[in-house]
Amino acid sequence: MAQSRIMVIDDEKIVGDMAKMSLEQEGYAVETFLSAEPALRRLEEERFDVVVTDYKMKGIDGMEVLRTVRSLHPATQVIMITAFANLDAAIEALRRDVHDFFPKPVKIKELKASIKRALEK
Amino acid sequence: MKNAAAWIRAGLAVIGLGTGRSVPPDELFRRFRAVLENNNRSLEIITDIGETLGGDYLFDIQYVRRSYADLSASLERSLASFDVLTRGRYRGLDTVFRSIDGTIRHAIDEQVPARGDLVVFSERLGDHDAGAAGGKAMNLAELGNRLNMEVPAAFVITAQAGDAFLKHNRVRELSGLSGADATEANYQEAQELILHGEMPPNLARAIESGLKKLRKRCTKDCYLAVRSSAGEEDGEFSFAGQFGTVLNVPAEIGAVEKAYRKVLASLFDPGPVAYQRRLGYRAADMQMAVICMVMVDAAVSGITYSRDPRGASDTIVINAAWGLGSAIVEGRIEPDQFRVKRGSATGEIEQRIGSKDRLTVRKSGGGTEIRSVPAPARGRASLSPQQVHKIAGLAEEIERHFRRPQDIEWAIDGEGNVFILQSRSLRPDVQAPESAGATGQSTDVKPIIHAHGSPVYRGAAAGRVFVLRNMSDLDRIPRGAVVVARHDSSQLVRVMTDVAAIITDTGSVTSHMASLCREFRLPTAVNAGDMTRTLVTGQQVTVRVNEDGVTVYPGIVPQLLGAVKGREVRMEELAEYRKKRYLLRYIAPLNLVDPMRDEFVPKACRTLHDILRFIHEKSVAQLIDNADRGWRSHSAVHLDLPIPAGIVLIDIGNGVSKVNGQDRVTAGQVTSLPFQAVIRGMVHPDLWRSDAVPLRVRDFLSSMLRATDIVADGAPRATASVAVISREYVNLNLKFGYHFIILDSYCSDTVRNNHIYFRFAGGATDLTKRSRRLRFMETVLRDRGFLIRLKGDMIIARLAGVGQEEMESQLDLLGRLISYTRQLDAVLQDDDMAVRYAEKFLATAPGSTVHR
Repeated sequence: MAQSRIMVIDDEKIVGDMAKMSLEQEGYAVETFLSAEPALRRLEEERFDVVVTDYKMKGIDGMEVLRTVRSLHPATQVIMITAFANLDAAIEALRRDVHDFFPKPVKIKELKASIKRALEK
Repeated sequence: MKNAAAWIRAGLAVIGLGTGRSVPPDELFRRFRAVLENNNRSLEIITDIGETLGGDYLFDIQYVRRSYADLSASLERSLASFDVLTRGRYRGLDTVFRSIDGTIRHAIDEQVPARGDLVVFSERLGDHDAGAAGGKAMNLAELGNRLNMEVPAAFVITAQAGDAFLKHNRVRELSGLSGADATEANYQEAQELILHGEMPPNLARAIESGLKKLRKRCTKDCYLAVRSSAGEEDGEFSFAGQFGTVLNVPAEIGAVEKAYRKVLASLFDPGPVAYQRRLGYRAADMQMAVICMVMVDAAVSGITYSRDPRGASDTIVINAAWGLGSAIVEGRIEPDQFRVKRGSATGEIEQRIGSKDRLTVRKSGGGTEIRSVPAPARGRASLSPQQVHKIAGLAEEIERHFRRPQDIEWAIDGEGNVFILQSRSLRPDVQAPESAGATGQSTDVKPIIHAHGSPVYRGAAAGRVFVLRNMSDLDRIPRGAVVVARHDSSQLVRVMTDVAAIITDTGSVTSHMASLCREFRLPTAVNAGDMTRTLVTGQQVTVRVNEDGVTVYPGIVPQLLGAVKGREVRMEELAEYRKKRYLLRYIAPLNLVDPMRDEFVPKACRTLHDILRFIHEKSVAQLIDNADRGWRSHSAVHLDLPIPAGIVLIDIGNGVSKVNGQDRVTAGQVTSLPFQAVIRGMVHPDLWRSDAVPLRVRDFLSSMLRATDIVADGAPRATASVAVISREYVNLNLKFGYHFIILDSYCSDTVRNNHIYFRFAGGATDLTKRSRRLRFMETVLRDRGFLIRLKGDMIIARLAGVGQEEMESQLDLLGRLISYTRQLDAVLQDDDMAVRYAEKFLATAPGSTVHR
């Protein structure tokens, strides 16, 4: 079976670095981005199975990423992570059909489990 | 019987509490509770941060900022109350807090603390100069300044100075290093710019003035070792041998400047760059401090591991050879090896004399040269038994200080003085469980060769042989190769991420390469004899390194490889992650452990945890002190129990019924509702006669006595256990050896006000037993409906809003638990047992409703 492809977008390097390392251990191919612009350009070239994105970022935010993913690759699952447990954001995100929503700090085990479920969809 | 208060006073005198004006009891007690509440809160945040930064969570800087702001605020509140409580007696604590707090805030914002100095002498380096001076210089300074060990006189050219040099010459901009995709050409360009750039005039002046002072401290001629002390080098994660060192540099400005440039330029060597990039460091961010220390005219040098990194953790390993140490760390010679058991100052030495056919010596006028060792000296031990014992003793002392196993470089001069040249954390050779080949899987395949050699990192791997005859061939090594080389060399770091295994004919398990291989978890053996002649480039082989040495089989032997996974970069190696985790070292470690032994003064506090510990210790002491002197109606009395618990009672309102002047009371006189319940549990006869646990009552009693009873053995103890009580309240601070127990409870007929806070922390036993004890407690407390937080070696249980009857039953249970757990360490042999004991315990506990 082909390797599943995961994209991680977060404006803090540490989040991408840690996510990449943990997810590669699960056998996924992981690409990380520090902002949404280059990530969206990449999405135009290639389909990813799961996009993990920060909710609040400078420039294009997580909601915009979600909208773009929906229009480009309807089958791609989106997981939103956010700095604060922001209830409004969570509701908004879930309403727009994100696969999952996590406040930071995110337990890596839970993120892995969520990605696994997303891939089974 | 001597008056209890007198004993307490004597105890307090030991920890330096004087006398003074008293604060009204209610105010004092209110402050005491505020201290406790804020301390509790602070500790919870500390454990929270520790857990989140432990590698199991994705977190961002927002989280770190927010949590630290909470921690800092709650510690400030604690300090404010503490200040009132102790009437400003420990004002110095506030200064210590500000300093640590400043360091942490700087670290969070990734600003190096603004130590403006370009050059700092070793003895002037303080706890918070790590950013400026680098790990190597810091550790060395600490050994000299704190442990008074013999270290060479030295100054550091700080990281800021290095940065100023790079900026002055616009190195990053001109070389193109500031861009995202720097290439090897960019790095070379940067190195050229450093080697030939202009020395900033103020830096030249600072170095010159440092040299002038240093020359005065040289006894004979004055030569220096100029070495890198980069960011984290020698910190938690080593950059062993990654950066430049220039030995035997004349202590003159021209020569030192030249050596400095050389070392600074090594920041951009291809080896280190590859290594750092892999860990997520950006070349543009790298900084380097450089240490200039007086050269020791070494007759013998060596490396000591305070614990054998290959498993025999009770053994100290000393490798030694004639002359300077560079031959050993570069793995060029086979040194003598001495092994001695830890803790045996005159114990038996196991020695193996190495061939040590060459030695490195200082050349007159500067530099070093390699000479041949005369035949008689080759076969002679380079250290006498006395020297071995002395070095072993130093190693243990250093390990105790840094609280981690150490890898120590030392030298002995012509007069026999032992100098410590470097000390850093040792990474033990922990085997990944999946490396099946290491643990005795067998095969029928006939090996090509077996050699005893010295295993550096055990495991099995398959690949094609590449015989490396010359380091200039490094770039020709294909991915996945089994590298076979004559000597070990730290230059191999350039390929360590890509190769399957490394075997060398000569070399030492204490070399830089060996440390790096352990870090990379790369199956490696050194000293394996004739491998370069036996194996042929291109040959497909399977290599197994285990305690018997190294065995090479033809082809691929799947049985040996088992489930060996690819070597992955681990979380703790990630640069960004490490930067954040680095904060913890100012927050979490506890250095002030024993008020009777450790130096219990504000300036001894090195972390926030130390400050909390100090506040707690002194607050309790203050409370007793005040109660004893100031409050006739709240005086301190001893509680006599059928078990020796050494508890002092402070009654703040109808908690005990006693006659005036009485200084001891019995359990029967306690009228505090919650405390009565706790005592009932603690002395419960079932617990002390129980056949379920093979009680070692005598041990238990003696350990309790040692730790807590302030009158029983006639020696005044500062560490009394205290219960502050009123009719409806108890605050119990209990110490059993290294366990700390806090129980705070309000118990009345007003359900809404009722609460229990129970915290159990610490313990001097080994980690496994400690975690079993926590598992036992968790099982019990969860069963009884407590809200549990289990963090590290601490358990916190809470319960609130239950009726008086249930409160009493729960407090009784906690009393039992306190007595019971102390006895458990000896018997909890496995995890299942922890659960079984929990079930048994619950079955006899009051109000037990749950049956399993």
